[in-house]
Parts: sequence; structure tokens; C-alpha cells
Amino acid sequence: MSPNGARIIVVDDDISVRRALSRLLISAGYQVQTFESVRDLLMNGDLGRAACLIVDVRMPGPGALELQENLSQENLSQVPGPIPIIFITGNPDVPTAVQAMKAGAVDFLSKPFSEEELFGAVEQALALRRASSDQGRMAHRRR
Amino acid sequence: MAETSGNNRVQGWSPAGTLLVVAVAYYVGAQLGFILRFPPTTPSVLWPPNSILTATLLLTPVRRWWLYLLAALPAHLAAELPVLPLLLVFGLFATNCAEALVAAAGLRWLSDAPTRFDTLRRMVVFVLVGALFAPFISSFPDAALVAVIQGEPYSFVWRTRFFSNVLAALTIVPAVVMAVRNGLPNLRAAAPRRYLEAGLLAGGLFLASTGKFGNPSGFVLGLEYVLGLPAGLRAPVVVLLPFLLWSAVRFGPGGLSVCLVATALLAVVAGTGESGIFMTPQTAQAVLSLQILLSTTTIPLMCLAAVIEERRQASEALATRLRLEEMLSRLSAAFVHLPSTEIHRALDEWLGRLGEHLGLDCVVIAEYSRTTADELDVRAWAPSGPVKLQAVACREVPWADDQLRRRQTIAVRDVGDLPPHAHAERLMLRLYGIRSCIVVPLEAGERVLGGLAVGTTGADRAWPEPIAGWLRLVAEVFASALERTAMEDALRASEGMKSAILSSLSNGVAVLDSDGTIIAVNQSWTIEGATVGSNYVAAWHETARPGASHGRDAAAGIAAVLARERDSFAYEYTARDSRVERWYSMVVVPLNQPGGGAVVSHTDVTERKRAEVNAQRSRQELAHFTRVSTMGALAASLAHELNQPLAAILSNAQAGRRFLDAARPDLGEIRSILSDIAADDKRAGEVIERLRELFHKGATEVLLLDLNVLIRDVVKLLGSDALIRRVRMHLDIAAEPLIVAGDRIQLQQVVLNLLVNAMDAMADCPTEERVVFVQTELCDGQTARASVRDAGPGILAGQHDLLFEPFYTTKPTGMGMGLSISRSIIEAHGGLIWATNNPVCGATFSFAMPIGNGTAT
Repeated sequence: MSPNGARIIVVDDDISVRRALSRLLISAGYQVQTFESVRDLLMNGDLGRAACLIVDVRMPGPGALELQENLSQENLSQVPGPIPIIFITGNPDVPTAVQAMKAGAVDFLSKPFSEEELFGAVEQALALRRASSDQGRMAHRRR
Repeated sequence: MAETSGNNRVQGWSPAGTLLVVAVAYYVGAQLGFILRFPPTTPSVLWPPNSILTATLLLTPVRRWWLYLLAALPAHLAAELPVLPLLLVFGLFATNCAEALVAAAGLRWLSDAPTRFDTLRRMVVFVLVGALFAPFISSFPDAALVAVIQGEPYSFVWRTRFFSNVLAALTIVPAVVMAVRNGLPNLRAAAPRRYLEAGLLAGGLFLASTGKFGNPSGFVLGLEYVLGLPAGLRAPVVVLLPFLLWSAVRFGPGGLSVCLVATALLAVVAGTGESGIFMTPQTAQAVLSLQILLSTTTIPLMCLAAVIEERRQASEALATRLRLEEMLSRLSAAFVHLPSTEIHRALDEWLGRLGEHLGLDCVVIAEYSRTTADELDVRAWAPSGPVKLQAVACREVPWADDQLRRRQTIAVRDVGDLPPHAHAERLMLRLYGIRSCIVVPLEAGERVLGGLAVGTTGADRAWPEPIAGWLRLVAEVFASALERTAMEDALRASEGMKSAILSSLSNGVAVLDSDGTIIAVNQSWTIEGATVGSNYVAAWHETARPGASHGRDAAAGIAAVLARERDSFAYEYTARDSRVERWYSMVVVPLNQPGGGAVVSHTDVTERKRAEVNAQRSRQELAHFTRVSTMGALAASLAHELNQPLAAILSNAQAGRRFLDAARPDLGEIRSILSDIAADDKRAGEVIERLRELFHKGATEVLLLDLNVLIRDVVKLLGSDALIRRVRMHLDIAAEPLIVAGDRIQLQQVVLNLLVNAMDAMADCPTEERVVFVQTELCDGQTARASVRDAGPGILAGQHDLLFEPFYTTKPTGMGMGLSISRSIIEAHGGLIWATNNPVCGATFSFAMPIGNGTAT
């Protein structure tokens, strides 16, 4: 899977942020799909094909932490292994960050963040994704 | 009038002495009578003992009569037993006593003053009853006794006894009574010239009665011939008349009666002496004629003397009364316009004049104490000058106190005449050496203020009604003066109290008449250009400047109160006082007086105003502080709010650069990026602007606002905070605009407070229950109401009243100022704020404000 062609899902309630983020990711060669809420993602999103999730921590309705919990409980991904999640927030607070990291978040970005931070996190997430899918494939083969 | 003076008492004579004198006089009189009779017949030509008895009975109290009659018995026996048989002696004593009793009792019954002969009426009563009727009646048994026992002719005895007793009664009774009653004082009081005149009169009388005037034939009266008088008697009758008239005119009934006694004795002696002691019919006839002549002469003379005396007394009384009236009028004049402060000095002066004028030894005015009323404050005068006396407790003089309070006059000729139960008064008077006194009440309308007492120490003194009445008038003048003093003192005390209250007020107070002219001010009144006599309304008009209406407004308000168009007028204004601006509050109320007018009160409220301003400032500062601290709590969400556009801008910018780096940049996409950046930048600017507005520490600025818009703005501001707190906000905003007049920032703060409180209250609730309902509505078309409903634990029982108090908080980090400030803001906007618990859970905080006129700015 080419990094440039990786599919990234962005969930943010702020349309401005969604548009800007998707532009930036597209300009770097990623495929981007945006959702305005976790509920929207769960209902309409294709998590199986997503290589990475960028989710705003605080949104009306179920937030990123709930989504993360959801994902870790029942692996919705057709690809074995958890989908790496990058948390973004306009209002960083330590408890949320700690909780997110504990639950396996790849990174926790404070808005506004630079492209280097974003792409660094995304690359890290994709690497993680690759590693876990390789492990999964190997396990599949063993089975 | 409680007349207790003993009119019939022989003053200064001891009872035993009196008895002795009566007995001796009776004996001497009887001896004289025996000498003047025609032996062997029993009746005497002039029989004085009966008259002496009559006089005694007239001068003594009835209850002692028996004593005096008894005292006369030994004298009677001593005089008559040697001459007459025992039975006759006792019989004659009985008839003598009977005559005296009839005369004395009759006179007491018929005469207003039985011991006085100074009016025609009294004299006529005396002549008819004492001198004619009593001898007439008593001569019948007397003559019968003599006729039966001695065998003498009845008619002759009756006639002789009757005339002899008439003559004796006519002459001796008045002489003795008057001598005993007034003799000594009159003699003492008489001038030497009177003694000389009396001496001349006595000498003339003696010569005339003893016939030593030479040949009297030239003075013969026709009467003598008619009566067949012997030649020797002509001289006295004719010559005596001028002397008797002289005595009647110049010396009154007393002088006349003394002269008559002497004349009668002399004439009778002369008449009887001429014919020797042997009685001849001719002599008896002559004696009878003499008796009749003397009696008939005496009666008109006595009446004449009485008339003269009556006139004299009347004119004297008139003169006295005129003097008293004059004095009374001067007294009233002196007191009528006297200022009350002078009255006590004037009282002292007039007590003295009264005393000197009436020849008194003491004049006392006793006034019931105004404070205790059971004490008499005493001012006294004695011939030596004013006397300082201690107050007398009423219980020390209970009887006099009682008499005074019952408006009775107490007149005592002698202290001993006081009733037995007036023991304390008697002792007190004796202590001061008072002999006679009269006390009249000081009456002022319904009240008795005290008493006026006058008295003498030396001689006793009667207090006839004219004097008593006059003293009552004097007392009335004194009483009204004292009453006036009391009233003026009370008035002055009350005025003093009022002016003390007025002057102790820190407010400047002025009294205006109905024209607005200042008629009085208190000490605190320091309004420039408004002194007593100036017109206050005009003064306000003068301060009116073009463009500044306050002078005119104030003048109009005061004028309205003066015209009774309004009940009061209150006005606040500033005035520069030595370059410092001061605030004054003026209140004008009508003066409750028939003439109208008003009372103006100025209060310097500068301090209050400063305090108000300070309070306002500190309230604003506190509001700002709480706003800032609320902002602190909101900082996180505000950061989020700002970071969103910033993040978008940064990402867009970096994406744009990347697009530009491409071989064929998609310019359409770049244009889109740039407009997005511009929009986000604008959005960030708006967030910052809102923040700045919230943090802005501005003074109150009242504008017309739409409460709906205001609440929407705050909800929007809090949106991200609500997001962070996982609180849903549900808005139910009224369809029509709710226009209120208010300060935007302050009202925003109220809404902010309520919303933050609502979210705080639900911090411990499950996420799905965290809902805040915000509702606005128009009530009655008059009131805008906003309410914020939460689903928290609600308000604890009993804490409703505390909610809006400062420093009441249930939050661990709360200051407890939010609701308190919200309340002060809402109330300053003329609204109300309150809280209730919801039926199910949570609480609702609401506020209501009056709808303003106009459209929102």
C-alpha cells in the first residue's frame, strides 16, 4: 500500500477545519474522506478501507474517545488490527490526552498544528497500520 | 364664707375677770338705782343693773349666758337683801333676768349685728326690742310682785319701772357694748385733738346738766310747760340738746350714749335731789316727766347718731372701696402686660403694697407646686420686706388645703376661732405669731392654683365681706398672672424644645410663608442668598441658567407646594461649594397653619451620593472581576473557539503552498483556499472581538436591546464550553423580539452566569441528562422573561433565600458572587430574578424585565 494512496478519514464538526485538513492531506497525495460527527462516520463511513482516522476530541454527540473505545472493543475493520487514530483538539487538556494515549492513540495534536506535525503523525499511524496488518496476515496464514 | 370670728366675744378678757366685772357692775348699778328711787316705793328712776345684764348677754355667747346671770345673783342679793324682803329680791332678780334675756335674745334674733348701733335699722331694732319691748314685758310681773308683796300701787310701780328701765337701756346698753367692743382701740387710735374736743364736750355737758348756766328762763321750751316740768329742770333740757347733738354728730352713737348716760344720771340726780328723798305726787310727776323727756329726746338722738354713723361708715366704706378699686385696677394694669419672667418680681412688689395699704403684718401667696402639686410654694411679705419661706407640704396643713381646694375663703379674727380640727393650721399661725388672718383661693378658671393669705400679728381684725371680696379679686389677678406664667413657661419650654430640636438638626430647615418668603431658618440653614425675609422661590428662579432647567424646576415645585397643588416636593441638585461639588436633597412640605406656607428642608447628601457612586464602582469592579473569573473558566472553550479557525487557516495556508509547488497549480483551488483563509481569519477576529467585549470594563450604557439576540449570542459564546462539558443546550426563543432597555454587557453577564451555573449544576449528572433549556417569552405584553432550566440536583431546601446573597456558593471553587451580582444587575434594570425547583429534577432560574419602547439598537 503506497503511502500516497492511503485512505484517511477526518472527523471534525467544524467544516472549515474539515476542508482545510482534507486539502492539506490531498496535497500530500492521500485520499481523504470527511465526516462531521462520529455518528455520521459510523453510519456512512467505510472503516474497513481506512488507513488512519483523524478525529476531533470534542464534538457534539459521541466523541473521539467513545469511537476509540468502540473500535477497540469490536474490530469493525475488515483488516485485522486496530485502525490507528490521531486525535486533534482545539482545547488540549491533560486528562483527555492521557486517556487517549492510554487507549492507543497514535498522536494527540493541538490545533493549530503545522503540516510537519500532521504528516509526521499520519506517517506514524500508517506505519503502525502496516505493521499490524502484516502481523495479522501472518497470523491468518498460521491459522 | 367660713366666718369663724367670734363677734360676741369679749376680746382679751378672761372669763373669770368678766364674771367679776359683771357682778361688780351689777352691784354698783343696783346701788345707784337705789339711790335714785323714791322711798318708800320700790322702783327706781334709773335702774342700770338690767341694762348691764343685757349688755353682758349681748357681748357673750349664748351658751355662757347662764354663767353671767348666775354671777349677777350674788351682786343682786348683796345689793337688795338689806333693803327688800327675800321673796321680792328673788322675784325681782327673775324679772331682771327675764328682761335682759328678752332684750338680748330679741336683738340676736332681729338684728344683723346685735352689738352694733351704727345703722338706723340696727338702732331702731335696738330701741324697739331692747329698750322698749323688754322693759315693757318684764315690768308687768315686776310691778305685780311689788304690788302684792309691798302693797304699792300697781300702775305707778309699772310706770316707774318701765320708764326707768327704758331710760337705762337706751343709754347704758349702747355705752357699755360699744365701750367694751371698741372703746380701747378707739381711744388709742384717737388724735389729741379729739381728746380736747371730748373734754370740751364733757365740760359743757357737766355745766349744762347741773344747771350752772345761770338763769335759764330765756331758753324755756314750750314742752316743759306742756309736761309741767319744774323750773329747775328747764336748764338741762334746753341747754343739753346742743351738747348731745354735738356728741351725736362728732362722736357717733358711742359718744352720744356715753353723754346720755352721764346726762341721765346727772339730770335724774338733779331731778330727784330737788325734792329731796321724799316723794310727793308733784315730784313723782316731775320725775316721770323727766324720764319721758329724756327717753323721747334720747331715741331720736340715738337714731340721728346712728344715721350719721351709717352715712359716715358708708362714705368711709365708699372711700375705702374706691381706694381698693383703684389699687385693684392698678394691680390688674400692672400684671396684664407683664412678661412672665417679671411676674414673680412684680408679685413680691405687690404683696408689699397690699400689706402696706391694708396695714397688714404679713401677706403670703402660696402656690401649689407645678411639679408635685402636693406642696405649696410660698412667697411672703412682712413689713420688714419680702420673706423667704420654705415650701409647705399640703399634708402639713390638711384643713386649709381642703378649704382652698373647695374654693372656700378662710377668715379668722382670732387664731383661736379656727375649728378644732384645724389644729395644724392653728399651731403654724401661732408659730408665726399671726393673730387674725384671711385666706382666699387663687382661682384660675377651673383650677385652684393656691391661696392668698393676709394677716395681722398684733391686734385682731375682722374680715368683712367687702375686704374678703376685694381680696378674692386681687387673688384672681394674681392667679391669672400665675396661670399665665405657667402657660408661658410651658409654651417657652415647648418652644425651647422645638427650637432645640430644630437647631440640632443637621438639615437646613426654613419656614416659608404663603408667598414663599423665608420667615424662619434654623442654624444649619446656610443656603446662600436665601436669608430670612428673602423670597425663596425667587432665589431659585435666579439660579436658573439658560439651558439648565433645575432652578426653574425647583421653583415650580416649591410654588406648587405653596399653592397646595401637591403634598410634597423632593428634589436633588448639585451645588458648587468652594470648588467642591456637593449634592443636596431638598424636601418641601406644606406648613400646617391657617396662613399656609411651607417648610423646606435641605440635606447634604454628598456623602451618600459618594457612597452610592463608590458602591456602583465597586459593584462594577466586582462584576468585572467575576466576569473575568468566569472567563477564566471559559478560557478552555474560548481557546477551542479560536483554535478552530487558526487550525483551519494554518492547514489551508500550508495546503495552498503545496498546491503552488505543483507543476501546474490548480489556481481555482488556491483561490478557494485563500477565501477560506480570509473567512476563518474573520471568524477568529469575531471570537476575539466577543472576548474583548466580555472583558471590557465599561461604565453602564443603557440601550434598547433584543433579549433574544443577547441570549443567542451568549449561548453561542458558551457553545464550545457546553461541548466540553457534554451539555446540550436547548433553546426555546420567543418569536417576537423582546426589547428591553439595559446594559448589554451586564445582561450578558447575567445570562452567562445562569448558563454556567446550570452547566456546573449538572457536572455530576450522566451525560445524557445534561440538558440546559433556555427559554424566553413575552408575558402580558409588558414583561420579557428568560429562564434557564437545568437537570441538576436542584436547590437545597431552605436555601432559596440565600441563593442570591453574596458569597453563597455550593461550588468548591465558587466565590458566591455570580447570583448576587446578577440580582443587583436585574434589579438595577427594574426587573426581578428568582429561582424555583423543577417538578422532576433540577432548578429553573428566571428573570423578568419590563419591555422597553422602541427597537433594538
